[in-house]
Amino acid sequence: MASQKRIAKELAECTSSPPQGMTIKLPNDSDIHKWHVTLEGPEGTVYAGGKFGIIVSLPTDYPFKAPSITFSTRIYHPNVTNDSLGNICLGLLKPENWKPSSRLSSVLEAVRALLVEPQPDDPLEARIADEYRQDRKEFDKNARSYVQRYAKGPVKFESGGGESGGGSTSNTGGGGN
Amino acid sequence: MFQPEPAAYIQVSTGYAIPHSVSDYTFEETPLRLNDGRGSGALGTGPSGANALLYAPMLSAPAGNRVQVGPAPSSPGSFNFNPTSLSAAPSTVPAPSHQPAPLPILLKMESSADELVAQEAAAREYQPQLEGPLVGKKTPSTAITEEYAKADPIYVQKTMMLPQTYTHYRQIQGDGNCGWRAIGFGYFETLIKTGSKARVDAEKERMQALNAYIETAGGVPAYVFQDFADETSSLLEKMSEMIGNPERAAEELLEAFNTPDVSNSIMYHFRLMASAYLKGHRATYGDFISTGTGVDGYCQAVLERHGVEIDHLGLELLVNVLLKPIDFVLEVAYLDRSPGSEVNIYRFPKEANSQLASDLGPTIHLLYRPDHYDILYPPEPVSLQVHRVTSLSQSYEIASTPAALHSYAQLNLQPLAFIPGFDASPAGLAPILDTTSASPLTTYSPSPVSPWVSAPFPDPALQATSASMAIPPPAPPLQPQTHPLRFSEYCQLPEYVENNTRREPTFQTATFKNSHFNVAHYNNPNFQPEEYKPEADDHDSPPRGGGRKRGSV
Repeated sequence: MASQKRIAKELAECTSSPPQGMTIKLPNDSDIHKWHVTLEGPEGTVYAGGKFGIIVSLPTDYPFKAPSITFSTRIYHPNVTNDSLGNICLGLLKPENWKPSSRLSSVLEAVRALLVEPQPDDPLEARIADEYRQDRKEFDKNARSYVQRYAKGPVKFESGGGESGGGSTSNTGGGGN
Repeated sequence: MFQPEPAAYIQVSTGYAIPHSVSDYTFEETPLRLNDGRGSGALGTGPSGANALLYAPMLSAPAGNRVQVGPAPSSPGSFNFNPTSLSAAPSTVPAPSHQPAPLPILLKMESSADELVAQEAAAREYQPQLEGPLVGKKTPSTAITEEYAKADPIYVQKTMMLPQTYTHYRQIQGDGNCGWRAIGFGYFETLIKTGSKARVDAEKERMQALNAYIETAGGVPAYVFQDFADETSSLLEKMSEMIGNPERAAEELLEAFNTPDVSNSIMYHFRLMASAYLKGHRATYGDFISTGTGVDGYCQAVLERHGVEIDHLGLELLVNVLLKPIDFVLEVAYLDRSPGSEVNIYRFPKEANSQLASDLGPTIHLLYRPDHYDILYPPEPVSLQVHRVTSLSQSYEIASTPAALHSYAQLNLQPLAFIPGFDASPAGLAPILDTTSASPLTTYSPSPVSPWVSAPFPDPALQATSASMAIPPPAPPLQPQTHPLRFSEYCQLPEYVENNTRREPTFQTATFKNSHFNVAHYNNPNFQPEEYKPEADDHDSPPRGGGRKRGSV
């Protein structure tokens, strides 16, 4: 497959000099189309101290199709769906913006930048976006409590990870308050 | 339910028509519906609630409506919503559909926000079904003429002329990359045609330099496009190996270009080249960028995005970086609704426009239809004309001595070999010599003619109709299948006809001249077959194709 070489090179670049606060692993060494990225919540944000799992899936016709990137750790963020899917809204990845010459390292950097500066004007979660704009205090509090609930401890990459985390919601949630 | 009442149309600048009053229809829900049409009356003043619809062009028409300038007027009875044809320019054509489909143009909205959002989402996610290979097989370009037979007269005329200049064409999939892909394919194909291994090898060298250029001028890290560039050089490598065997090389090329990975990579490599060339020549081209985003924005949004069609600037850039240095010329035939009887032709680089075609380097021919490119091929300059000339003169020789057929045995039979189907060996003549009839020409029996032409056609309409029905197979009754010597239909040369007045009287009569068995009109360069138009009877003016009769004598 033509994209293998490109992916291998991008992987090498991302592992040797990873974007800030990220570590990249392959869950399965024989499949370089699926990456597991661990992102440390950027310092100085409400996400600081948390560790977030990000799953990068490269389609077979990558780089002609954009990679799909999802959070496997739940996160309280206007641009990430507040469910176990963790879909993310990133302009760079939209089909109408994707360029085959885009690099994955810059895509990952863009994900991190999204945590530093959410984009409430292009939200996936309209309610959270409103809260972010109008009641920043409440937003910060909720985001921090999500970090406490979900983003502590070992990072999970299973797609159902959010669900199992949800099971313990009452306990950790109670502890947070 | 449907009454063929004439509907008034507003011609919008995009070429879509909006019916002013359309009555009594029920519609399936379509994402393209503008509003739900029942009584909201955004545009219409019609009797029973107006529907503002986008019409897909090229449907059929209510007979009464001749006002519309645009596409073949459409019959409100058969809606066939086809978002792709809506997306294109004012094209009325069955043009190959395109991806990505731009949002449908919304003319007037009174719908709720939810509907709009749903509509937008539907439009955004819409992916046209793309059929066929990325790069098709070489096919006779008469197929294009047939495709347009029912289109706008300008298209009809232009596509009629097209096969005379370009005998074949090759269809490229309309996935938004067709221009890039067509040029890419044409580049390799033309290299094969040069038949020069040195030239292909020189191209491999040049690619290295171009890759360095993409890095320095284009600012793209090597590893990002290495895979794309590798596909280009490995295909060049293969072409270089197979240069002695053009057929195989052509097959290999077609296969490579139909392998999505390979095809897309090469194409993207070329995109990056054009983009780098633009970045390296900002002063020259900066002012030509129409998107208002500056050089870098344009590179990002147009040149470097997979699935975004090449525009004029892109063509210019790609030709300058890829084709011009090796003296290849790109010639684009624009098939559009501009006035004229032939497609407009423009060559890149522009200097080539003032040169004679014979002075130009190897040329890649493209056919442009609004929003789509295909590859065209001019006739191969080999056997065709030679054959026609010789067979004409030879058959004339035969015809002029019809009574002395038996003396053929002494003739030099060599030239007869030029006649299709004729075996040069004397054995091939045996059936002729054996025949008891004096001349094979007597087999041009007028008998199949007589039932047709026994009476002159009483009125022009009937004549036109019957003549056009008979056009497609003009030859069969004239050519006895049993005979190995197939006489050309040009046998009725003036002298022959004069010499044989007594034997073949029907050949001279006005009846024959006007009949469909007279094929002389095929020699007339202005000849155009007549179109069968069912509605011709309701029509005041004579059918447009009536020129056939004038051209036939």
